[in-house]
Amino acid sequence: MRRNLVLLVSITALLYLVGCTKPTGGNTAGKKLTIAVIPKGTTHEFWKSIHAGSNKAAQELTAQGTDVEVIWKGPLREDDREQQIQVVEGFTTQGVSGLVLAPLDDRALVRPVEDAKRANVPTVIIDSGLQTDATISFVATDNRKGGSLAADRMGELLNGKGKVLVLRYAEGSASTTEREEGFLTELKAKFPGIEIVSSDQYAGATRDTAKRASENLLNRFGDDVQGIFTPNESSTAGMLLALQDINKAGKISFVGFDASQSFIDAMRAGQLHGIVVQNPFNMGYLGVRTMVDSLLGKSVEKKIDTGVMLVTKDNMETPDVQTLLHPPLDQYLK
Amino acid sequence: MVAEVKQNRTLVTSAVFQSWLNRLGPLLGLVLVIVIFSILMKTPERFLSPNNLRIVLSQTVIVAIGAIGMTMIIISGGIDLAVGSTIALTGVITALGIHSGLSPSLALASGILVGGLVGIINGLVITRLKVVPFIATLGMLGVGRGTAKWVAGEQTVNMADTWLNQLLVMFPNPPWLMVAPGVWITIVLAIVAAVVLRNTVFGRRVFALGSNEAAARACGIATDRLKIWIYGLAGLLFGLAGVMQMSRLRQGDPTVAAGSELDIIAAVVIGGGSLSGGEGSILGSMIGALIMAFLRNGCQQVGWPNYIQEIIIGAIIVVAVAVDRWRTSRAVI
Repeated sequence: MRRNLVLLVSITALLYLVGCTKPTGGNTAGKKLTIAVIPKGTTHEFWKSIHAGSNKAAQELTAQGTDVEVIWKGPLREDDREQQIQVVEGFTTQGVSGLVLAPLDDRALVRPVEDAKRANVPTVIIDSGLQTDATISFVATDNRKGGSLAADRMGELLNGKGKVLVLRYAEGSASTTEREEGFLTELKAKFPGIEIVSSDQYAGATRDTAKRASENLLNRFGDDVQGIFTPNESSTAGMLLALQDINKAGKISFVGFDASQSFIDAMRAGQLHGIVVQNPFNMGYLGVRTMVDSLLGKSVEKKIDTGVMLVTKDNMETPDVQTLLHPPLDQYLK
Repeated sequence: MVAEVKQNRTLVTSAVFQSWLNRLGPLLGLVLVIVIFSILMKTPERFLSPNNLRIVLSQTVIVAIGAIGMTMIIISGGIDLAVGSTIALTGVITALGIHSGLSPSLALASGILVGGLVGIINGLVITRLKVVPFIATLGMLGVGRGTAKWVAGEQTVNMADTWLNQLLVMFPNPPWLMVAPGVWITIVLAIVAAVVLRNTVFGRRVFALGSNEAAARACGIATDRLKIWIYGLAGLLFGLAGVMQMSRLRQGDPTVAAGSELDIIAAVVIGGGSLSGGEGSILGSMIGALIMAFLRNGCQQVGWPNYIQEIIIGAIIVVAVAVDRWRTSRAVI
């Protein structure tokens, strides 16, 4: 028994030693660059586009002579900070060339990212901000602008007067908080005739929590409000399901955020009156490109905007919007 | 002599009082929650409207169906921590079934059966490998969740629109149903389970097993086989809860319902179930589930932040168990 224990301990120790002797950093020229791309979750269609975009960047760069491999790994739930921290730490000890990270929280991920920097693994932040200057660049949507685009659309739909409900996404998520603030600020400044009846409830991380919150809020405010804004894919999906269930879809002006097939169908059916669409494909693409540029010693911008756009029934069939709504996922995801 | 009779009488009256308290306690709690929110609410007519009742009932279905199975398990002295994972797994299986062209009824059956299978595996691990239920099902919590993510390809599974999606809609078709079909299914299942537990040999054996396992075995009950049956049957119910979850989301989501086992256990405990076994009632558990759904619904409509709702639900669980302890200690005397 005791001998077994000794054996176990020595094997474990040996494994650790082997693990530690692996080269860290490894960003020497001519070698293969491994870039770990860490999304907030893997189940939303949004993240699939980021995945496809980063694969495109890797393929292009490899074709241009810089051998780049993208490793895709994230927490499965969008609110599991602990799991995402472990993913970042795992890649740090594994010694990848660089991290491209969409942090779940603007503070919780600061320590692991700073640790990674100390271990010579640089980080590019995508999608959502991080409260540290230990990163190379911030490649993201201008979320505030996205929120104000939604507010402009809402004001136009309601002709500048009426009551509006905002269902927030989740506590501590920087990107969605900026969208909500952008929406509220713009609405107050430009459309003083519009009243916000509720903006302090949260949808939570999944479609299920969002649907439940929406049902409860709609029962309370459903007959009073003329407009609704939701700041991301899951909250928009949950609100849409709740509206469809009570046959109110289409009767309330509804502006959402992010794109998915069901939103496009809903927009065609007149149940959704506008979505603010980011360019996740471009975000994944620029995230990896920026990381590689920096590893190759080129100077990169501290902040890179990947673009937002308001999509409505009127412009949804134009080619520009179509490529935005249907990024070439199949081509880059196998 | 006279004193003895008097004492007996007080004992009898207090026993009657207690059994009424047992039965009415949770119901009283539910009424209290509804009354308090109606007072706090600026628009009580909305809160008490039939539509809001429809909403709350639909939201309760998943926890309620899970609580029927969990009540059986808890009465038998066991516990199941893998319910949330089972719900996610069976929801994904059903969605995949429809996605791959199975008829909705076959997909429904496969979801329920997979739930039963998970339950039987739990039962086998508990009886054959002699692992206590807490650990066995803690293991299954991970295995089930992982399997769900695996078979779903780490993504949500979207599928065509079928009648399964209508199980939990607010306005059912045909309208004379009044509430979602899933609510009726839950009510029927609850009545059947209550009758089975109260009036059948199987039901009495479940109580016997939970009250005193050694005595039950000595009385000739094949306790191991009984346990496998209990976990298997409960598993079928968890599978149905998974189908309901899928119906609500109109997709199979492998990450859904994490932590819902705690909601379900809380429903049973608030409804008078005792984690030491031998006690619990289906009616109580259903009321427990409704209390939590009304709390969530009410807090949101009053406009309270989520944390208040979490604190209240936590406090109610502790109060319910404290009352339970108080009852048992009185019963011993």
